[in-house]
Amino acid sequence: MSLTSKHKRYFSRDYLLAISILTFLLIAGLLAPLRAQASHQVQSTVTPPAQPTPTFDPQRLEKPVIASDHSEQLKKGALIYWGVCMACHGDRGQGLSEEWRAAYGQDSDCWQSGCHGPDYPPESFLIPKDPVIPAVAGAGALARFRNAQEVHDFILADMPWWDPGQLTDEKAWQVTSYILSLRKVMPKAFELTDTNASAIRTQSAVPQPGDDHPAVLALTGILALAAIGMIAQDLQKNKLRLVERPNFFHHLHPPTIPALQARLRYTLGAGGLAVFLCLILLVTGILEMYYYIPTPEHAAVSVEVITSLVPFGALTRNLHFWSAQALMIVAGIHLLRVILTGAYARHRRLNYLIGLGMLLLVGLLDFTGYVLRWDEGIRWALVVGTNLLKTVPWIGDMLYRLTVGGPEPSLSSVERFYTWHIFVLTLLMIVLGAWHIFRVRRDGGVAVPPPAERKDNARLSRFDLVRREVLVMLLAGVVLLFVSAFFPAPIERPMTETMIDIENTRAPWFFLWVQQLLRFGDPFLWGVVLPIALLAGLAALPYLLPQASDHELGQWFPRGNRVAQILMIIITLILLILTIIFIIPTTQL
Amino acid sequence: MKNLSRRNFLRLSTNSLLALASALGIGGLIRYLSYQFDPAPSSEFDIGPASDYPLNSRTVIPHIPAIIVHDKKGLHALSLKCTHLGCTVEQRNFGFECPCHSSRYDMDGAVLKGPAAANLRQLRVTESEDGNLHVFTT
Repeated sequence: MSLTSKHKRYFSRDYLLAISILTFLLIAGLLAPLRAQASHQVQSTVTPPAQPTPTFDPQRLEKPVIASDHSEQLKKGALIYWGVCMACHGDRGQGLSEEWRAAYGQDSDCWQSGCHGPDYPPESFLIPKDPVIPAVAGAGALARFRNAQEVHDFILADMPWWDPGQLTDEKAWQVTSYILSLRKVMPKAFELTDTNASAIRTQSAVPQPGDDHPAVLALTGILALAAIGMIAQDLQKNKLRLVERPNFFHHLHPPTIPALQARLRYTLGAGGLAVFLCLILLVTGILEMYYYIPTPEHAAVSVEVITSLVPFGALTRNLHFWSAQALMIVAGIHLLRVILTGAYARHRRLNYLIGLGMLLLVGLLDFTGYVLRWDEGIRWALVVGTNLLKTVPWIGDMLYRLTVGGPEPSLSSVERFYTWHIFVLTLLMIVLGAWHIFRVRRDGGVAVPPPAERKDNARLSRFDLVRREVLVMLLAGVVLLFVSAFFPAPIERPMTETMIDIENTRAPWFFLWVQQLLRFGDPFLWGVVLPIALLAGLAALPYLLPQASDHELGQWFPRGNRVAQILMIIITLILLILTIIFIIPTTQL
Repeated sequence: MKNLSRRNFLRLSTNSLLALASALGIGGLIRYLSYQFDPAPSSEFDIGPASDYPLNSRTVIPHIPAIIVHDKKGLHALSLKCTHLGCTVEQRNFGFECPCHSSRYDMDGAVLKGPAAANLRQLRVTESEDGNLHVFTT
């Protein structure tokens, strides 16, 4: 009786009403900027500059006043434009039009004037008449440039006309920012950099990006509070467990498991965390697919659009990136744990091999995902990573073509990596992952001694187990959100045909040891044979070396497989040392 | 909400927080997916000099799609987008027919037979300073 009344209270109408009102308000609040965004779009379609005044107004020569909600970059650009560019390109970006030349009074025929005529004074110069100095704003202006990046590159190299190359990179960005605002295609508070400028087009405006930080931090805070709430519930004295009916998620677990299998200091929670990270990767990856365009021309630009324009796009991409990095670490820890506790022995051998296969897949997914950025940062990793395949005797060329889709990276390569990443490798990962989790159960759960030899025969119900999983997911989610809110995933300017100097020739961090090995000599031996031999050696552990016996399971460092443990520790140290050797000399430079 | 025990209070607030987080997530998701990067398609079309459309001519401009009719009443443009579900209608001797669901319109775009309920839209045509005609679809 008391149970039903509790349920009644729990689902009371007041409660549901309050939740639905709150939900409604929150969604409404979050969507409100959408309308603002939509109306902004209409305004921001390119409009021709205001009708020029027939007679010249000296006020037009005054210093421009820029509204305070524009970026500092744009304000500085306005000053440079006013001081350097305006004389020729006009106060409204109209170019050296007749109307603008009227500003010069009797000198209005610039090509015959005392300043820029054939007998110009030594400090001055001839200005070109054909083509006439172009407009930078108004219909059709800047048509030869697709985006802010190209405008910037031109200004940096070729402007000002009488002294090209005078501007610094920073000042070129400032001028670009102001010019594009004259064209009304520049979002107000947007700082141009070479990692977002390709997303700002010269011929059509993009909606002003909003600031996602408050919402992301609010979400992080709410999840943290919920986690605290769960912990507080668990800390309640005389825990009275309601007799719940198992839901779908409970049914994914056995009714009870030995408490020994669920000790955090034994499992480190690595397997469960890996599942959680895979789910985050799946969801954020699908979201990225909505905007990612897998062509050489658009790939990097679409990544820039996600990162700097789409609401919560940066969050989505950062979550995907950091989850991938975390997965690599968590998978490594999981492998270490399994070996250092001797859990891979006997009937668990098969699952151990499946796990190694998944580790390989994580590496391949990381590499293909990294390459999909298609920016200058991945150029060398792509070249080196794929050329390694060519070094394999006899089948090297075939492997290369299978991976890259031609004799060298080409138009179809992005599509190819995209398909490897989002479909083939992901599908394999899902299949192996499901098999891996199924085998955990089939093999009797996490490795512990047989019932007769257990020190503790307490059991944990699935309700408690799911609760714990939810709590760990919440905490991991809070950390991931927090990291993603403040540490952006790397991105560089889109890959160009012309080679530009890029300092970043580093492989992704988890392949740095391979990059160090490659410095030792023959690429096939060091870059292909050795890593494969390492993986094969790990796979052979349960077949060649002594194993832990049943009663030793469920604890760290059992006697039975000491040799394997020592070998694993040595391998780990060598990988770490190789990575450190690689990093040290470059940081000293 | 009487007799709310500490346990139930904790449970209620935790669940409310989770519901709040879900709402926030769904709101964010909708905003994420609603972003439009590509510019809206043009609604103004320059169709060349007015002299290309002499009296008693009917000229189809496929990319709008529209038909420019110049008759005694003057020069006007008729949208060729079926008002039912947007297919482009085809010319017939009685007027226009939609290939998708067989709606029929007469020469002036008035509905002869459903399922379309509304007549074909009249589009605004203006002549610019350089003598070119501009058709507006909005």
